[in-house]
Amino acid sequence: MKNFQTLRFLDLFRGLFECFGINYPVMRRILTVKLTMDGRRTPTIFNQNAKKKKKPEENGFIKSLGMYVLLSVMLIPLVIFGENYLYQMSIFYGIVMFLVMTSMISDFSNVLLDVRDKGILLTKPVEKKTLNAAKTVHICIYLFFLTGALTVAPVVIGAFRHGILFLLLSLIGLILVNLFIVVLTAIIYYFILRFFDGEKLKDIINYVQIGLSVSIAIGYQVLARAFSIVDMKISFSPSWWQFFIPPIWFGAPFELFLSHHSNVYLIGFSLLALLVPIIAIVIYSRMMPAFERNLQKLTNNSGAGKRKERQWKNGLINIICRSNEEKVFFRFADNMMRNEREFRLKVYPSLGMSLILPFVFMFNEIQMNSFAHLVSSKWYLAIYMCNLMIPNAVTMLKYSGKYKGAWIYKTAPIQSLAPLYSAALKVFIVNLFLPVYIILSAIFIGIFGMKIIDDLLVMFVTAILYTVICSNYLKGTLPFSESFEDAQQSGGLKIILALLLMVVFAGIHLAATFIPFGVVIYFILLIIGTIFAWKLANRTVWNFS
Amino acid sequence: MTIIESNEEVVLRIKDLEKHYGMKNVLKGIDLTVYRGQIIGYIGPNGAGKSTTIKILLGLEGDYYGKVEVFGEEVTEKNIDYKRRIGYVPEIAELYDNLTACEYLTFVGELYGMDIKRTDEKAQRLMKVFGLEEVYHARIASYSKGMRQKVLIISSLLHNPDLLFLDEPLSGLDANSVMVFKEILAILAAQGKTIFYSSHIMDVVEKISNRIILINDGKIVADGSFNELKEQNKEGTLEQIFNQLTGFNEYKGLAEEFVSIVEEG
Repeated sequence: MKNFQTLRFLDLFRGLFECFGINYPVMRRILTVKLTMDGRRTPTIFNQNAKKKKKPEENGFIKSLGMYVLLSVMLIPLVIFGENYLYQMSIFYGIVMFLVMTSMISDFSNVLLDVRDKGILLTKPVEKKTLNAAKTVHICIYLFFLTGALTVAPVVIGAFRHGILFLLLSLIGLILVNLFIVVLTAIIYYFILRFFDGEKLKDIINYVQIGLSVSIAIGYQVLARAFSIVDMKISFSPSWWQFFIPPIWFGAPFELFLSHHSNVYLIGFSLLALLVPIIAIVIYSRMMPAFERNLQKLTNNSGAGKRKERQWKNGLINIICRSNEEKVFFRFADNMMRNEREFRLKVYPSLGMSLILPFVFMFNEIQMNSFAHLVSSKWYLAIYMCNLMIPNAVTMLKYSGKYKGAWIYKTAPIQSLAPLYSAALKVFIVNLFLPVYIILSAIFIGIFGMKIIDDLLVMFVTAILYTVICSNYLKGTLPFSESFEDAQQSGGLKIILALLLMVVFAGIHLAATFIPFGVVIYFILLIIGTIFAWKLANRTVWNFS
Repeated sequence: MTIIESNEEVVLRIKDLEKHYGMKNVLKGIDLTVYRGQIIGYIGPNGAGKSTTIKILLGLEGDYYGKVEVFGEEVTEKNIDYKRRIGYVPEIAELYDNLTACEYLTFVGELYGMDIKRTDEKAQRLMKVFGLEEVYHARIASYSKGMRQKVLIISSLLHNPDLLFLDEPLSGLDANSVMVFKEILAILAAQGKTIFYSSHIMDVVEKISNRIILINDGKIVADGSFNELKEQNKEGTLEQIFNQLTGFNEYKGLAEEFVSIVEEG
């Protein structure tokens, strides 16, 4: 294990730790192990395009910081334009808090929630105090780098623009914000663990991770427009409801000291910014023992699972699955895809993206022309953008965190495994694609009117056909039978080919709209083609043993 | 109940130990004195309180009533020094498995205050004896269950402890490794180490322990050597004694019911 730079820096404070009766060498050793293990995790922010070609031992976290530095560019205009401090700095702190908090929950929950620590470390001659200190320092190191990456550029540039007092206020503000976030996260966990069991908490963390992936991706879309969005003319006057919005507390001192606007609200906000984090820390240290006790819930999944009978789904199964085997596999794939967190983490972000992408493109169009122009145009074909998720999601079908369970396919007395594929794809369409499609369709009909219904139907059939074509990527592997570790998410060329195909489909559709009854004829042809493709795939691609 | 007479030093003493989880009484007054060099088979049905006892002895669980002493020192949260002389193999193979065996074992050694070079060398040699020298620098996550178990066993013995707590230590080991490990335990006990062995596999407990303690529903219901238990209970095997003392005699009925459901088709 290597000697971390961070820890060498920490060595400078050795005396301070020993003052508090902490066994410094032991704490340092624990930290070395923790940092080594962190280096072997992939942070969520990388999930979308992580290449598993492991470079020898470089910390994925440090690399993910690069992404945050990029995001921090977005914050620069916020800081330097104008002197409407309360507004600008509140947004600045709001974004920082959001990013730090989500990243904390998604990548660092395992530090707060590691139940192994107790069994492994406390059975050794390690004092609880030392272990807690190690945990705290670990979180601090992480937050230091994260906050640093996110704010160094804007704060330094801001300091040039607004002077040294700005620098000072920002630094104090950031430290307080971090304290606040740590405690807030811990308190949220505390309450979740108090009322639910560990599984629920893991689910919630999972959804936060998904949310983070989506919002980072959208963040990049917004990045380009950051300069135009920041509207410095918004007048923003303090009022009572802002007491409930923490970022505003942290923005207030800037207004107070830099613009010399003093009023009761601003002083109140500033006091809150100072006092709330400190009070929170005190409460937190009081709650620590109770928190630890609740943590034990993570290990026992006592919660008797409620079985939800879904009537509509049972009905649906009977309609869309023909053979009994296919029905069995449909239920199985349905359960797998709904329950597996890792699968959700890989696929749900792209669902979120495909919900949003069509609008990103239309937004561009609206900016260039007008909304009325958009409605009368053929921009409704932007709904094809939501098909972008299909290649990725279909490839993911073959992976599972519990891939070792796949032996069951081999030992069960089943003639052909083709129904497994068709069932998995049907579940994908019903569970994942359909909701996105329905939401988008509803919004699109709202924008473009009822006249596009036939186009939407064409698009739906195309998506099914497209799914069948993409299932070629599954060839040779069974669904849920490989480890996510092997996921070559880069499969770049394949995905690009698939995307080109999507453009071709959209192009044909566009062409069909120019021919009288073209869309209807195209629709009928598509249905025939899709049925044919499905049968063909059933016999060739999916059929092997 | 027989108390084994011994002039040897007391390693561990528990008096009137009680532990409650909320309204539930897990331990209802345990009295136990363990002497140096004993191999204690600590058995009992699921949920009887075996793991809780061990956790209290290791200082993982506080808030108990009664007196617990290890090496003559009272177990408290503040007192951690007695842990230097204890080795522990937990029931669930909990370890930091994204470390390599080398990293994990040297880490554990250092927590016990050993020198890193010395630990490394010792760990490597121990791994070699278990036939694991090839994977010494591979991540534990890639190990089979038996290999992980061996790493856990090594990590519990690295610092040459005087008292060993083993919770189902044989799980996942193959028959040959089991023989090696049983022999290791016998030699360690002969050297004066004390072993606290908890398991559900009665045959093994019967063979290796020289004192068996059966706990049921938070109380000790039997304590003595296997022969003594046999005389008292007039049963042939430890398994039968176990069934008798835990009041379980419906196994035939349950088995028949199970098979009849299977055969319903």
